[in-house]
Amino acid sequence: MNDGILIGLETAFAGYNILMVMMGCFAGTIIGMLPGLGPMSAIALMIPITYGFDPSSAMILMAGVYYGAIFGGSTSSILINAPGVAGTVSSSFDGYPMAQRGEAGKALAIAAYASFSGGTIAAIFLLVAAPQLAKISLSFHSADYFALMCVGLLAIAAFASKGQFLKAMIMTCFGLALATVGQDPLSDITRFAFGNINLMDGISFVLLVMATFAMSEAFMIIFKKTDINFKASDVSKEKLGSIKLSKAEIKEMVPVIGRTSILGFLVGVLPGAGATIASFLAWGFERGIASAKDKLKFGKGSIKGLTAPETANNAACTGSFVPLLTLGIPGSGTTAVMLGALLSFGIQPGPRLYVDQPELFWAVIVSMYIGNVVLLFLNLPLIPYIARILAVPKNILVPLVLFFSVTGVYLISFNNFDIYFMAIVAMISLVLRTMNFPMAPLILGFILGGMMEENLRRALLINDGSFSFMIERPISLGLFVVMILIVLMQVYQIIKDRRSA
Amino acid sequence: MSINYSRITALIFLLFFVLYSYFAREIVVFDFDVGADFNAKTFPILISYLGIGVSFLTFVLCKNDGQTMAQYEWLGVIVLFVLVFTYGIIIKSIGFFLSTNLFLLVAYYYLGARSYKVLLLCSLPVVGGMQFMLHQLLGVYIRDPFLNFLGIIS
Repeated sequence: MNDGILIGLETAFAGYNILMVMMGCFAGTIIGMLPGLGPMSAIALMIPITYGFDPSSAMILMAGVYYGAIFGGSTSSILINAPGVAGTVSSSFDGYPMAQRGEAGKALAIAAYASFSGGTIAAIFLLVAAPQLAKISLSFHSADYFALMCVGLLAIAAFASKGQFLKAMIMTCFGLALATVGQDPLSDITRFAFGNINLMDGISFVLLVMATFAMSEAFMIIFKKTDINFKASDVSKEKLGSIKLSKAEIKEMVPVIGRTSILGFLVGVLPGAGATIASFLAWGFERGIASAKDKLKFGKGSIKGLTAPETANNAACTGSFVPLLTLGIPGSGTTAVMLGALLSFGIQPGPRLYVDQPELFWAVIVSMYIGNVVLLFLNLPLIPYIARILAVPKNILVPLVLFFSVTGVYLISFNNFDIYFMAIVAMISLVLRTMNFPMAPLILGFILGGMMEENLRRALLINDGSFSFMIERPISLGLFVVMILIVLMQVYQIIKDRRSA
Repeated sequence: MSINYSRITALIFLLFFVLYSYFAREIVVFDFDVGADFNAKTFPILISYLGIGVSFLTFVLCKNDGQTMAQYEWLGVIVLFVLVFTYGIIIKSIGFFLSTNLFLLVAYYYLGARSYKVLLLCSLPVVGGMQFMLHQLLGVYIRDPFLNFLGIIS
């Protein structure tokens, strides 16, 4: 393990990779700040750029973008009460009131320190937890992997979109169905291509992500007539105020950081939960345990109220890398996009990654820490300048996002069909999203589809075509029980909702 | 049972999965694979069962969330969609540089940008910079008849 860490340190501290983290954090902050464009869009836009890179640098860049986007989302939550990312919605509860009373600089500093601390503590947890889980997961069989992927898909459908379980499940099935287009990996039989040569290789993962996130987000800004009313003068140094914190304020933050970083990390590790749930839970938890006097401050600019979600969402981001790196199963939509990127590099994340490519495994973990340092020491002082991106009018922003998405896909294949297909997928996504059909389950289903088929095939062949493997192996059985529990919880929720309606 | 947009969408998905199920059964597998425990049809058929079940349940259980489609800016999105489509048609014939600049200029103008300075500064340098990065830094060659005609690239 120590050798692995040393190799990871060497890779992560290579000048080129430090540059990647810095670039990733900056690009992520800028994109994450823009209302609607979250970490998934930010990472999707980066994928075509990383094609010439080696996998470690690409992953380091994307991890930086992920962190940056969360930080950027906090900035727009605090400054204009328009969260760029769902995971930072709860940061606006107390961040925006602080900004309104002239303490925007202080709120941004609290967000940065809390994010830094949450990310750092979680990175240490990851350092300890990931190798242990990787060792355990080496004993997983195909049947266990299949069951684990089913749990992942069910969990993301259940938790990623509250009250929309059935809609999320439709999107999961749709993603799985799209994954079957093209050649069957084992027999090479072409499926669902209908004689169209452009579909014989299957649907491109980058195309699907770009269309469902980046391009449909750009369409959404026009579709919903989103107004970006923000002037560059709103983020002048004078208006932001001081970014210095007093000793008493730091003292108030410390215990909150300790508690919510553990909570955030644990929630992040769970499949489907992620930064959004972690941040809401942390805010609610801190409010719940606060004294009666402190409780009144929540929602009106409380330091604890801002520290809690900011710590938890960054810790959850780190936590979500645990299942990705050790099991090869993404815990959230964003890590699903990263998994797709890794697969396109020919790398299969999972327990073997830790053994076969320690430089990639450890470099990503170490670079997360570097990313936190970059955000704290470079992005925070530069916020008055970076936040000016919020002043870019939508009539410039939308065409640019469309341009980057289309070019990103076209430059991979040089095929006009991809542009047409992408536009159609983006339109369909736009309509579906308007009707609360979530996109993250679609992407997860699409990415896991191929792996699920492969593992199910192997499990069925080993078991002579019988599905009894689901109850014969203890790990599969345990996961099967979890699946039933998730479904029962959702059934209960649906019945409860219908009764209350 | 009231009709709402979510229910209509669930019905469309139901039809999609019924069709998907039909085409999944139509997949031609190798003779030696026909009676196998798992072949190229198996997984798609399983997905179709799940898809049909879930979309049917959504169709039946879906609540009316009061969603309307009239309040949205349909025209703007359709124009952008057509623009992207047109961009796809012309990119190969007139080249990356010219088609991308045209795409950006028309999109900016349609969305309300009128200042020539803004229109030009947000298109020419962006596309030029992108093409320079692709050619010189990343080694990606894009065939461009227009720049070729001007003698800028070979």
